[in-house]
Amino acid sequence: MTGARARELLFGSWRGRISLSVLGLFIFIAIFGGALAPDDPYASSLETLEPPSSEHWLGTTEQGSDVLSQLLVGARVSIVVGFAAAIISAVIGAAVGLASGYFGGWTDRILDGIDNWFLVIPTLPLMIVLSALLSPSLGVLILVIGITSWAGTGRIVRSHVLTLRERPFVERAQALGASHWHILKTHIFPNALPLIFANTVLIIAIAILSESALAFLGLGDPTNISWGTMLQNAFSSGAPSAEAWWYVIPPGLCITLLVLSVAMIGYQFEEYVNPRLLEQHEA
Amino acid sequence: MTRYARLPVALAVLFATAALAIIAVPGQAQEDSGSESGSQDVFRVGWSQDPKTLNPFVGVNEEEFTIWAINWELLVGFDPEDLTPAPAIAESWDVSEDGKTVTFHLIEDAKWSDGEPITSEDVKWSLETLGEEGLLFAGYTAGVESIKTPDDHTVILTSEEPNARLIGDLFVYVLPEHIWGKVPVDELTGGYQPEVPLVGSGPYIVTEFERSRILKMTPNPEWRGEQPAFDELQFIRYGSADAVERALTLGEVDFIPEVQPATFDRLGEQEGIEVVNAPTYSFTELAFNLCSEENCPDAQFNPAIQDQTMRQAIAYSIDRERNNEIANLGTSFVAHGILPSFYKDFYEVPELDYPYDPELANQMLDDAGWELNADGIREKDGVVASFDLFVRSEAPAEIQYAKLIAEQTEEIGVEFNLQVVSTDKLTELTVRKEDGLPAPEFDTFIWGWGGDPYDPSALLDLVTTSQIGASSDSFYSNPEYDQLMEEQVTLVGEEKLEERKELIKEMVAMVQEDLPYLVLSYDPYLEAYNEDALGNVERLCPAETGEILCQQVSYEPLLTLTPGEGSSGAETVSGVPGGVVAIGALIIAIVAFLVGRARGRRETEPMELPT
Amino acid sequence: MNTRWLIGKVGAAALTLVFVLIFNFFLFRAIGDPTEQLVRLPQSTPEEIAELRAEYGLDKPLLSQFADYVGDTFTGELGISQRTREPVWDEIKRAIPWTLLLVGVGTLIATILGAWMGVKAATKRGTRTDDGLLSFNLFTYAAPEYWIGIILILVFAVAIPIFPAGQQVTPGVEFSSWFAEAADVLDHLVLPVTAMTFLLLGQYFLIMRSSMVEVLTEDFVTVKRATGLPWNRVVSKHAVPNALLPLVTIAAIQFGAVAGGAVTIEALFSWPGLGELSYDAIGDKDFPILQGTFLVFSFAVIFANLIADCLYFALDPRVQAK
Repeated sequence: MTGARARELLFGSWRGRISLSVLGLFIFIAIFGGALAPDDPYASSLETLEPPSSEHWLGTTEQGSDVLSQLLVGARVSIVVGFAAAIISAVIGAAVGLASGYFGGWTDRILDGIDNWFLVIPTLPLMIVLSALLSPSLGVLILVIGITSWAGTGRIVRSHVLTLRERPFVERAQALGASHWHILKTHIFPNALPLIFANTVLIIAIAILSESALAFLGLGDPTNISWGTMLQNAFSSGAPSAEAWWYVIPPGLCITLLVLSVAMIGYQFEEYVNPRLLEQHEA
Repeated sequence: MTRYARLPVALAVLFATAALAIIAVPGQAQEDSGSESGSQDVFRVGWSQDPKTLNPFVGVNEEEFTIWAINWELLVGFDPEDLTPAPAIAESWDVSEDGKTVTFHLIEDAKWSDGEPITSEDVKWSLETLGEEGLLFAGYTAGVESIKTPDDHTVILTSEEPNARLIGDLFVYVLPEHIWGKVPVDELTGGYQPEVPLVGSGPYIVTEFERSRILKMTPNPEWRGEQPAFDELQFIRYGSADAVERALTLGEVDFIPEVQPATFDRLGEQEGIEVVNAPTYSFTELAFNLCSEENCPDAQFNPAIQDQTMRQAIAYSIDRERNNEIANLGTSFVAHGILPSFYKDFYEVPELDYPYDPELANQMLDDAGWELNADGIREKDGVVASFDLFVRSEAPAEIQYAKLIAEQTEEIGVEFNLQVVSTDKLTELTVRKEDGLPAPEFDTFIWGWGGDPYDPSALLDLVTTSQIGASSDSFYSNPEYDQLMEEQVTLVGEEKLEERKELIKEMVAMVQEDLPYLVLSYDPYLEAYNEDALGNVERLCPAETGEILCQQVSYEPLLTLTPGEGSSGAETVSGVPGGVVAIGALIIAIVAFLVGRARGRRETEPMELPT
Repeated sequence: MNTRWLIGKVGAAALTLVFVLIFNFFLFRAIGDPTEQLVRLPQSTPEEIAELRAEYGLDKPLLSQFADYVGDTFTGELGISQRTREPVWDEIKRAIPWTLLLVGVGTLIATILGAWMGVKAATKRGTRTDDGLLSFNLFTYAAPEYWIGIILILVFAVAIPIFPAGQQVTPGVEFSSWFAEAADVLDHLVLPVTAMTFLLLGQYFLIMRSSMVEVLTEDFVTVKRATGLPWNRVVSKHAVPNALLPLVTIAAIQFGAVAGGAVTIEALFSWPGLGELSYDAIGDKDFPILQGTFLVFSFAVIFANLIADCLYFALDPRVQAK
């Protein structure tokens, strides 16, 4: 359980290396996508649903916009929503898991009940209901995805904290009269951090998929292009019937690659954090 | 042994070949032209949204109107040629000397589809109940003071002032009182679902309604006019607009009433398919918040928007021609004033029409003292020409249009900040009140309105003072305009039409000058049909420039349209779809193959050990 | 002991259900005044709104509203849809069988395929076959299911038109027999079920693979092998049944959740189940319907969990011993 081990896991396997490069590429695009775009992604023209050409490498949309430009700009929403929602989810999940596991008793019973409930409640319908009730915007999307996906983290952190609490160094600190806050801060939290981190990475993948699904259902942020809204526009404007594969395939492929790379990194981290899993995952 | 093990593999190949052969044989859907059901002529309409309810008290969607307009009639209908008032339930009408009393003479032997006579009681009940309680019908009877029914075939309406809308704009369907009258009103406006067959007076009545699948109408046995050419109308619901259009190209439907702008041109290029693009009584406008201090003390907006020069300059800076080409893909019609060109009797291109002229716009603003500040935005007395522009997230074309406006006004140093909100949210921003007074919270927005088939009053009424707190969302108030509005509606009858047209022209000019609305485009009906499937196709409502079905206005086209040469009868499916056969065969083949291989291997090759 | 464990599970499920009811009730009241959602026309007068409030019981105290709500829910009164003015429960009742059909067939196929591929990968661990299967399944796991659906439509309904692109039956046709209608439904089922299968396949494969890997290292396998039983026999007769248990349990537990996750597929293929009902309700702001379908989705998850627990209880002797 050293940093070297983590490095080895991430960089040592070809899956890890590829995942990191893909993620890096997408983050680069998310930051500089606007500048890289050959065209104004919002500009419409009369050349609608044109197949790829030297002018438009990935063809045009039903509004005559450049698909490649939209693709480049769309990375930002996916990545921002994915990361921000995962952070919200991590904060809630960690707080609930830590408090629940550390304090035990009624705190645990209530918090664990809430956690259980969020685990059980069907996530996508809950997201749909929340986003339908609130007006669609980037912030709402992040919030909705964040508060519906923390339960798994909470559960894992709680059980980890339960074992930590029994460790000698925690017991010694308690005997010495250290405050709860101090113990949580210096002993429990740092030990649980890698676990929280690994879990958060996996949640990023889920959040990216959730954003795209909500966007596809028309609950995305209408002012920003994301890969999900691109697919929604493509579908609702009849791109499949026009056999406009250049409009349909790229956004979905980008989502898939991004999710795949994030998930792979997440698994690698999970193995690092939880060596018991190693035997099962490693092929 | 190995030889026998190959047998299932051979079988698998055989199955797969058979499956392919079956797929290759087309046409598991057989058309029964002739034989048992006789030669049925069916008119098949495809749409992606179907009526949510058949109850006119609660229905609000276009699809519902389309069906009602075939199933029922108004007291006075619309001539499909020019949309002027035409006989419907009422055969004729007289206007009294003072213009305040209109006597309608009903067709004497008209009957409902269940054989009951259509009487003045039906008319009275409908005007009083549907005209009061129907979500979309309330308001039309507002000018009516009393309804008298001296006998079964006479209805007398009186009003305080002469009122042209009593004839040309009494848009309330006449329902059979002997059925609807028995249902308590709160049920009518609640969960009441009328029974099918839907007793009606039009040429066809609804005989089958399976929501989300199909609605069928068959000829009304008591129909008094000439017999319609089709034995059945089918309104077939598909899952998406895309699927509807595919159904048309495959010949599964004959007609689609609502083509998407994005696919309109593409569809028209297909062989055998004709597309029709006709202006309607709806428009899309850029609205400005003109609410005065006294009408709305708590309104929130940038005061610069109430500067008339500012609004006019904005109007000049917007290239409506180009924007229509891009945002509406050229399928809408560039607007010229608040009155759509659809209203042929009243329409005229206004003199002040704001052709695209950014230089003039810049000049106007310069002259008025609006000067560019450090950010390149015009400013005057500390007020910056930067406005919120609300658009609805549900309307992508409007969002697109708004982006173009923002781009174009940048050229004249006016900033528009796009705010995409839900329809509900925009409604809230426009209708919100504080202490009982309107308190709108917007600078500008893009949205649309729709009018009535003949009388333009409903649209003109949108900017009257009396609508503040009701329908007005520009909060425009101009006593002169209000005066003209009241006056024009009293000009009843054909002899006063010219005079009425003059007044309306003045009203349109006032709106152009003061700009509570800059009307951007007149919305179209986009229709498409299979050439082979329909005969005698005419553009009606109004003639020449109208559309094929007179949607929501008149059933007349259904009486003149005929089945085309390539039209087909009702479809009956009896076979098994090729795809299913293929999948079935594939599964059997795979299973057979696996079984065969497993057996073969078990006998011959040992499996390697795990590591 | 055993019955007590079972009662505990049922109790927990009931408690969760109560929480769902409370949540569902407050969610639709907490965010915005529900009358705003009820009044479609902006011109409504204050009197009309007051009337509506009374009609929907919104003028009563919150607690008595909640009591009404719970009572209504248990008697199947979920309110009236705003679009169709039909009872919400009637609409839901019509949609449930379609969702069950789609999710049921999809789960079945995904389980069989996932199990089969999982066994293949686990027995050939480390080989190219394993790598290939793993990559394929990870890909389907990461790909948005509706995107796969769009591609299926593009390929199998447009480019090579073998299957219909949407809805449950061919619209506007009469069928000569129930058999012809069933075949037509089957024809329409193919593409959505394929998308559904892809939604689940990756996960089921991963579960099967890892549980198979684990089982293959267990002692009894080595013992059986030592008795001279052929290897493939050991795999098919002993290892697979053991490795299947976790997969089947998870497939059962997930059955309810999958129904909720199928919204995008149903929306894409206009499949008239609960998902499409919710999807249409989003567009029309039909909150009674959304509230109703959300309740049913939650109920499905809770119920599926309970059934899975019972199954586990019945199948796994270790739980009974606890």
